[in-house]
This record gives sequence, C-alpha cells and structure tokens, in this order.
Amino acid sequence: MREITLTVNGERRKAMVKDNELLLDVLRDKLYVKSVKAACWRGECGLCTVLMNDRLVKSCLVLAVEADGAEILTAEGLVKDGEPSPIQKAFIEKGALQCGFCTPAFVISSHKLLTMNPNPSDEEIRSFLSGLICRCGTYNQIIEAIRGAQKAYASR
Amino acid sequence: MAGKFVGKPIPPQDAFLKATGTAPYNYDIELPGMLYAKLVTSTVPHGRIKRINVEEALKVPGVVKVVTGKDIPYMVGMYAGDRDLLAIEKVRWVGHPVAAVIAESLEAAERAAELVDVEYEELPAVFDPLEAMKPGAPLIHEHMEKYRRLPVFKPVPGTNIANKFRVVRGDVETALKEADIVIEEEFHIKHVSHAFMETQNVIAHWHLDGTIEIWTSWQNPNPVRQIMAESFGIPYNKIIVKIPFVGGGFGGKAGLGWEALVAVLSREAGHRPVKLVLSRKEQFTSGACREGFHAFVKAGFKKDGRFIAYDVKYVLDAGGYADYTVNVGRAVAYSADGSYEIPNIRCEAYTVYTNKVPTTALRGFGYSESHWVLEQVIERAAKKLGMDSAEVRRINLIKPGVSITATGERLREDVGNPRKVLESILQEIGWGKPSEKPKEPWKIRAKGVALLVKGPAQPPKAPSSAAIKFNEDGTINLLVSTGNFGQGTVTALAQIVAEEFGVPLESVRVDWIRDTHSAPYSWQTVGSRGLFTDGIAVLNAVKDAKRQIFKVASEALRCPEEYLELVNGEVRVKGKPWMKIPLKDIVMGYSYPDGTSIGGPIIGRGVYMSVHTTNLDPETGQGHPTIFHTYGGTGVEIELDLLTGEIKVLKAVQAFDIGRVINPLLLKQQFHGGFIMGMSIALFEEIKFDERGWVLNPNFTSYYVARIKDVPPVVEKFVETPQADGPYGARGVGELTMIGVAPAIANAIFNAIGVKLNNLPMTPEEVWKAIKAQRPDLIEKAVKEYQKKMKEVKAVA
Amino acid sequence: MSFGSPWFTLPEFTYHKPKTLKEALELLDKYGEEAKVMAGGVGLLAFMKERLMAPSHVIDLKGVPELGQAIYKEGEGLTIGATVTLNELARYGPLKKFGALHDAVRDIADPIIRNRATLVGNLCEAIPWVDTPPALIALGAEVEIRSLKGERRVPVKDFIKGPVEIDLEPGELVTAVHVPEPRRNSRSRFIKYNTGSEFALVSVAANVVMDGGRVRDVSLVYGAVSSTPQVAVKAADALKSAEKPWEVLDEVGRIASEEVEAVSDVLASEEYRRHLIRVLTLRVLREVMG
Repeated sequence: MREITLTVNGERRKAMVKDNELLLDVLRDKLYVKSVKAACWRGECGLCTVLMNDRLVKSCLVLAVEADGAEILTAEGLVKDGEPSPIQKAFIEKGALQCGFCTPAFVISSHKLLTMNPNPSDEEIRSFLSGLICRCGTYNQIIEAIRGAQKAYASR
Repeated sequence: MAGKFVGKPIPPQDAFLKATGTAPYNYDIELPGMLYAKLVTSTVPHGRIKRINVEEALKVPGVVKVVTGKDIPYMVGMYAGDRDLLAIEKVRWVGHPVAAVIAESLEAAERAAELVDVEYEELPAVFDPLEAMKPGAPLIHEHMEKYRRLPVFKPVPGTNIANKFRVVRGDVETALKEADIVIEEEFHIKHVSHAFMETQNVIAHWHLDGTIEIWTSWQNPNPVRQIMAESFGIPYNKIIVKIPFVGGGFGGKAGLGWEALVAVLSREAGHRPVKLVLSRKEQFTSGACREGFHAFVKAGFKKDGRFIAYDVKYVLDAGGYADYTVNVGRAVAYSADGSYEIPNIRCEAYTVYTNKVPTTALRGFGYSESHWVLEQVIERAAKKLGMDSAEVRRINLIKPGVSITATGERLREDVGNPRKVLESILQEIGWGKPSEKPKEPWKIRAKGVALLVKGPAQPPKAPSSAAIKFNEDGTINLLVSTGNFGQGTVTALAQIVAEEFGVPLESVRVDWIRDTHSAPYSWQTVGSRGLFTDGIAVLNAVKDAKRQIFKVASEALRCPEEYLELVNGEVRVKGKPWMKIPLKDIVMGYSYPDGTSIGGPIIGRGVYMSVHTTNLDPETGQGHPTIFHTYGGTGVEIELDLLTGEIKVLKAVQAFDIGRVINPLLLKQQFHGGFIMGMSIALFEEIKFDERGWVLNPNFTSYYVARIKDVPPVVEKFVETPQADGPYGARGVGELTMIGVAPAIANAIFNAIGVKLNNLPMTPEEVWKAIKAQRPDLIEKAVKEYQKKMKEVKAVA
Repeated sequence: MSFGSPWFTLPEFTYHKPKTLKEALELLDKYGEEAKVMAGGVGLLAFMKERLMAPSHVIDLKGVPELGQAIYKEGEGLTIGATVTLNELARYGPLKKFGALHDAVRDIADPIIRNRATLVGNLCEAIPWVDTPPALIALGAEVEIRSLKGERRVPVKDFIKGPVEIDLEPGELVTAVHVPEPRRNSRSRFIKYNTGSEFALVSVAANVVMDGGRVRDVSLVYGAVSSTPQVAVKAADALKSAEKPWEVLDEVGRIASEEVEAVSDVLASEEYRRHLIRVLTLRVLREVMG
C-alpha cells in the first residue's frame, strides 16, 4: 500500500492504494467519484474517461499509482455553485442523453474538445468522440449539444 | 388540443443528474458490510460435473464461502422455468455459472475464483438448432416437463423443443396452388447482444427475518419479485426490489436475472449483503443475448399484387436456457403478417435448446425477426411481378376497421394510419426518383423501405396502476413502477399530471427509485407499453384525485361540483374566478376560518387493465395477442461500395403513427436511437462462436457497436391518428424504431442490383460474398472502374 | 486468442518508476523475466487483465526523460522514444515526411487511447492486428534495444517474430524506434480497412520510389492478414518491372493477394482478406503513385 495524492475536481484528496489498483477503481470506490463509469474495463467503451492533467484518459487503463500528484477533472467537477456548465446544459436541452450511463464521459470529452477548439467541424467531433459508446444512440443529439455549447466556449 | 406541457419538447426530468454525473446507478451503490461475488463458469459446452474442488479457493484471505449448484438446487424462471441458479449436475453451455465465490473484496473473490477447479465429463453437444430438433439429438433438458412454466407454453418432451407455437388462418396449401407467383426463401439472423452499457449487477441482502432486499439494474421491479417469490415459495411482501437509475435495458433486463442467485448467496454468506457485477465478457458469455434465427418461407401472390398465401417456419436458436425466448417464439409467429392483410397464413415457430449462450428478449423481439423476413418477401415479390414495391405494399396494407390479422383480430377504426406512414416515408426519401450518382463509379446508391407494426407481447392479463399523492405545499408525488432506463416515459407521465392539474411541471415528481414496496403495481415495462398502460393508469388516478378534490372544494365553496373547474393549480367557480381555493389548501384537508376541517390528504389511484387481449387458441393461434398496434416504417438511402461490400447509410427516415405526441424531444430520441441501434445490428453485430461453442468476440473490439462516426442524419415523421383509449390518444413506440432498419437496407440493395441479402448482419464480408455469388460481374466491373478512374487521376496529374 | 476478460482486478505486482535509463536497465536486469515495462500501459494492462501476462514487477518508463522524445535529424531520420505517445507523435511536425507512419499513427484506436498509447508499445504488443508494424517495415525502420550488456539494433521486420512474440531478451529494453530518412522521390502511405471492427481486417503500407513514369523501388507490407506482417515481394517485382506501372495495378494487387500468407479469424475469412488485399493494394498504390 502507498499513499497517493490526487487533486480531484479541484480538491486535494489522498488515498491508500495497492500497486495493482486501477485509477478507475480508486476514483469510484475510494474517492466516491461515481460519474466515472465502466462498461468494458479494457479501453473500448470509453465510459471511464477522465481528464488527467488536462489530457483525456481511459481510467480503466491507468494505474492509480501512476496518477499520484495528478489533477483529475470529471463531469461532477464542471458544476459550479450547483449550476451545470454550458456543455452540461446543452446536453440537457438537446436531449443528448437517454439512460445516461455514458453521459458523464461524453460530457467531459466534449468539454475538452470545445476547450481546444470551440468551433469543431462535424468530422472533428465524430473523430474526437469515436472512442466512446452510447448504446441508446444519442449521437446526433450529442453533436447538437456540442453545437449548442460552442458559443459559450468561444467567448471564454 | 395544444397543452401547456403535453406536446412540448421537455428534457427528461432526470437530465440534470445524468449530465452532471450524479445520478446513482446500481453499479454505484454500496451497502454497509457488503461482500462481493464472482462467478466460476463452465469451460465445456455440455457435460456432467464430476467434481468441484474449492480447497485452494477457500485458502485465499478474505474468502467467505464458495457456493455450488448442489448447495442451492432451485429452478427459476418467468415463462419456461428452466433455469438453475448455478449448474446442478450438468452444464449446458460454455459460460454456464458453476460456482460463486463470496469474499470481503472483489479482488479476493477473483483470486479465489481463479483457483476453483472443476472437472467435467463431457457429453455430446449440439450447436445448430436444426440439428437439435431432430430425433436422437443430444438432450439438453432431460426433464423439461417438470419445469414450472406458464401453461401457454408448449414444450415437446423428449426433444430439445422448448416451445412450439402455430398460427393458422385460411387455407394456405390451396392458396399457394392458386398463386401466380411463389417466393421461396430462407433467412438467417445471427446472435446479437443488447450491449446495454451498464452490465447486469445486483446487490441482495437476505435479512435474518427472511425479508429479501434487492437492489438491481433491471427494467421494472415487479417481475423480479414475482420470479423470486414463485421460485422460492416466499410471500411477495417479504421481497423488496429497488431499482435506481438503469444504464440501458433493451429487453435484456426484463426477464430472468441474477437476483435470485445473489439473494441465496447473501443467505449462504451469513445474511450479509452481496454484490455481483458482470464483466463485459461475462455479460456476453454468461448473460443472455438475442437468439439466433432461421426462417423458411413460401409466399404466394396474384398477378395483381395481392399477397394471398404465407407459409413460414421459424426456428429459434435459444441456447442453454429459453426462459423468455419461448415468448419470442410466439411473438415472431403472431406478427408474421406485419402491416398486411394476408388471408391464408400458416406459421410454425420452434424455440429450440442448443449448447450455446442462453437467450432472451431484445427490443422488438419476435417482430424484428418476422419483419426481416416479411418485408424482404414483399420486395422480392414486387420485382418478380414487375411492380413497384410501394404499390404492392399499398395493395396489401391493412385497412383500419376492416382488415383481419393473422390471429383473427378485426382491427379497430382508430388503430392508426399505415397508409399515411408509408406515403410520408416515400415522399421524404424521394421514392421513384433515382439517387444522385456517387462520384466514385465503383459505388452505387439506392433507396429502400420497410413497414412494420408492433404491439406489446404480453400475457392477456397485464395490468398497471398509479397513485398520485399530494404534499402539504400542493406538490405532487407520482407513484408508478414504470421503468426508467432511458426512454423518458416517466417524464411524459409527469407532463400528463402537470397538465391535468395545471401545476408547474416541477411540482410533479417521480422518484428515481422504483420500489415494489411503495410503488403501485405495473406488470412490466417492456414491449413499448409504458406510456400507454401506465399513462392510462395515471390519467385514472388524476380523475380519482380530482373527484376527491372537487368534493371538498364543493363543500368549502358551497357550490355544486359541476360548476367547479381546476385551473392553474386552483379550484375555481366557473365564470367567477375570484371564488377559488388553491390546491394546497385542499390536498391535506380544508380548514374553515374557525379551524374546523373537512376532507383529508388526497391520494388518487388509477388502474389500467388489458381488456382487449385474450389467450390464443393452442392449435391455431387465434385470438387478440396485444393491447394496441403501432404502425410505422423506415426508409433509407444507402451507398454500397462494390469493391468491399460495405454499406453506408446516407439518410434515414423514421415514420410512426404514435397516435399523439406527448413529448417530441423524447420521441425524437427514440426515433434516432432506435435507428442507430437497428443500423448497428443490421450492419455490424454478431456474436461469433467457435465449433466448441465458445464466444469468440466477447468485447467491443470485435463485437462492434455503432460509434458516433457511423451515424447518418435521421428525419423524424410523426403521424398522429389518436387512439380513443390511449392517454391523450397516444400509443407506444420505443422498440419499434429499430425493427424496420435492417429490411429497409436489404431492400435498397435488392432494388438497386437484385442481390438478395438473406442473412444478418450485412457486414461488408457478408455483402461481398452475396454479390460474388449472385453478381460477380459487378465486382470485376467495379475494379475496372477503379483502375480507369486512377488512370484519369494520373492523366490530370 | 481470446480478447475479453472476466476479471476486473489486476494480478499483484510491484510498481517501479525509475528516473534514469540506467536505473531502468538495472531493474530490468535484476528482475529479468519477472518484469514487464510499461509506457502507456494500454496493451500491458489489458493483457494483465486477461491473465495473458502476470509480471511480478512493472517498470514504468515515463519517469525517464530521454525516452520521451521524438527527434528528427535531416538526412538521418526520425527517432521515437519509448514513451512518446501516439498523439504527441502525431503533432510532431516532421512526422509528415514519413507518410505511411503519419497515416498509421493518426488512426490507431481512438484519440483518447492515443493520449496514452505509444508507438513503441504498439509495436511491442506484436498482436497481428496492430497498425504501426506494416508502416514501419515499409519505411525500413529499426528498433533500438538497450540492456546493461550493451545495445543492438534490429530491423522491425525481424523484431516481430510471431503473434505476441518479439526479439527481446529478459533484461533488454526497447528504447526507441528509428525510421531512416525517406529516399529521394519516395512516397509512402498506409491504409487500413476496419469497418465494423476496432482492429483492422487488412492493412497495407506502401513505400514507392518513382523514377520518371516508372517505379524504381517499392515496398508493400500487409498487416492483420496473418500472425505477422507480410511483405509482398513478387507483387513489388511486378510493379518495378512494368513499363507502364499504371496499367498493371490490379495485376499487382492480384499477385499480392495470392502471394502473402492470409488466415481466417474472428474478424474476417481468408477469402475475404485476400480480396481486401487486392482492393487495398489498388487504393494504396493510387495514393502513393498519384
């Protein structure tokens, strides 16, 4: 066991972890960051995606010890004073969610995309989000949501 | 009637929680003192268990217990009753759970599960249902006559046939002889996975007093309770099933789940709560999927296009257990005639055990299969008759109020308008106008259409109920057990209540936990029935609450009830708006200025009962199988690359007669989502087995599910022919949106190049093989075109 | 090979994060076969979940600065360190000079995976469907290997010995891949066909040196068709010897589709693979010769 320190959604958190523990499990089970989901546990579905040091990673393929000292941002962390962020509002308004299980991963990934490029082409959106699966098939609404939120990102 | 809420594009009420990642799913829930279970599964397709050695496993620190089938010899099920909790004596497929390890941590459970050593005596296995049906095939269930099944299901003891079902109407033999043309074909569909994102997972706590508490990722709590109560012989009120947010269902969380197993594990582990989460591989190999399917058809048409005879045999590859698939075998047969009136029909469906993964319902079950066949038959016949397939569809389309279905049901006047559905698809897709020529001459573009109809496949008695409970401030708790796994039905129900009471939508709340103990009964949330059945129950509950409210208001305002109205959350005297009482002053009882009070807390109750449905005749399948019919269809424009066999959908049109739009945003989600799931299953998805019955692709790399890069634009066409008894005239639609996709795509290819695609999925390889077998010239021509184009490129350069 | 794991947890191991190459090599030397190195972890952790690997020691290379660089020297070529991620490499300007590699790197898996996955990792996985080996072989790349005993360089073509089998001894570390400067008048491209699959059904890299209207030299390498990347020699000869190469492209594709080893597996049948080889050969040659 070793102690690691993570800054999760702006808050410094410590956890005792074993070397073979995955970031996914530590976030969920030790730090209770439950927006981080999983559906394949091997890097295919993308539902465990988080921003780690401002890079999107699939946390089922990251060791917790590797993440020691890292900054982690997840869908919960985009909420400010109880208000959802523009991308979250757009997901709500455009109906870009059904069962909602994949939604946090699409939200944090779309947030990252718009931060890098507030005016992505349809092709860029499709390529950027191609590592995530939504079985309910909200993909067209997700594209609408990104379009709906891009103004807010352009003015940031 | 344009409502304040009904008909408005309102986001799902739980969207805030979902978008912020704070909605609790069962996967997220932990109970104090919880233990973890891990399955040990069979490595042979069919065999007797000789010995299970658990000694090494028990040595792993943290292991509490290892349970095997002989410790818990229960048989469970909803329809066929054929399932053990853990294999008893023998295993029936690779992946069949044989033992369960219970430990203090998931890691310990996994370590120990790796150490459980099982010895088998292998038995001859059978993987092909056509072989499995034959006399002398290895028997997979030797004693199925002993299973506790619903009486409508008819297994054939001494065979592997779990259910045989027939629909017979008219005289198909004679009609086939009288037909001018006969289409004779075979169609096949491979196994597919629901691929819901949240894998099946359960927490069970068998309390010391015998109360069983279940937390599960399931579509609706009542069937879970029913299966457990009936299988264990426990009173229903000692089982409490709670369902939080659910990460997708698609029919795969409707029938038999893991709850009974995990409950028993909790009891065995000293009454501590136990959680079981399936990994994706386990979901593929130990959970249930959609059955494999084979159809053998003869269809007779007259020269004028009339469809006069349909003779079809379906064989369903149900795998090791067929608990729900026996019902798929009924639905596929009584939906054989689709949207058409076919006077002579004979349809036999066999649900057959094989040594493969078990199977269950999947979104649109039975109907997806029957329409894959029927809608292609129409297209083939049109070509053979030299007619426009749209015209053949028009000629045979059912006529509301006149036509009689395959099961002998005369369709109601208000059943919907399939003709309007067809015409709106044809118009939107530009039927009859050739597609734009693709720039690459080795590709072709084509258009295809498929119609469909579906009603909820259910037993005749399948009621629902709802309660409306007012709070002190006039806000409302709407109590239903309607499942909430992505469809948004509960939002639509809340809209209805807000509309009826004239209160803000925020005032109506449906809790996010479905709970058998506090929510009124609803049979199941399946078959696209939630809005219809539970919506009617809700409207009846509204009526009941209003009656109570008006009674109190009438006394308080000293005014007969017929002069009162409910507007904007107030009871008013008609024409005298200053004479009014806000709801909040009534719903806990009304107090006069002197403090004396009348009435009391208001609880409205309402029910839905399926009054139209009947049992089907065991010999002929005649009767009323469903509570409504929703007609619809799908049109596509596709592009086919003749070099690779790859099909790309360029445009999709979805048209459904949903009776009345309650929420266009939620409806749009279903139209798009269903298309995408349907397209993914049509073009990509297949569970592959090796010759020993092992699943070869239990993952999302080689079992490919459509990603965002694969989806086309979808055009939604809402057709609104109200159904008199539907809530605001509405009908259900959730599942239907994927049923027409595959046949529409296949029809497009057939229209364009005459190549028949009888097998699903239509992967590039499958399509290439079909073209190579039927039109090899097209591939060689495509290669030449490609070379020619290259030379042109070169010449320009 | 089964891909899919019933396990959520990894086997136990000790994690090491050396800060220098020397330290890394010492750890590797000390633990030998018990150790596995990790860069992006994408392949390693997935393999460990499936219990295809269960090292007692995992050595994370991301703390070693010199392994995290991609360096291009004009006339010499491109050297890509072991921990350079695919996205870092894709953004590195000079990669464009190496067309086939540029194509392969930008289309592996998905953009999120490419934030962690590395070129060296992709190569060392040596599973038959990975994308970079055909491109690297077509470009004549070499693997740089270090151990406490010394260093050696092996052509990528020889480095991959079989499925999940590479020319690497216990104690050895792949520090980089070196891609030589492309030859004058050469052009290379990589394409893959993976509709309905995350992995390629067939991929092909072509590296062509043009000389007027003729093809002076060409390398055609196919991935995902068999257990190791396949080089089509006869097809290349046919193209080189053609007076009018544009006339013989389908012939070249046909030869390639017959000459290379191709197998049936969960993704495609041998028959379809051979057809795709023919089609992809046409496509890739159109790209490199056009």
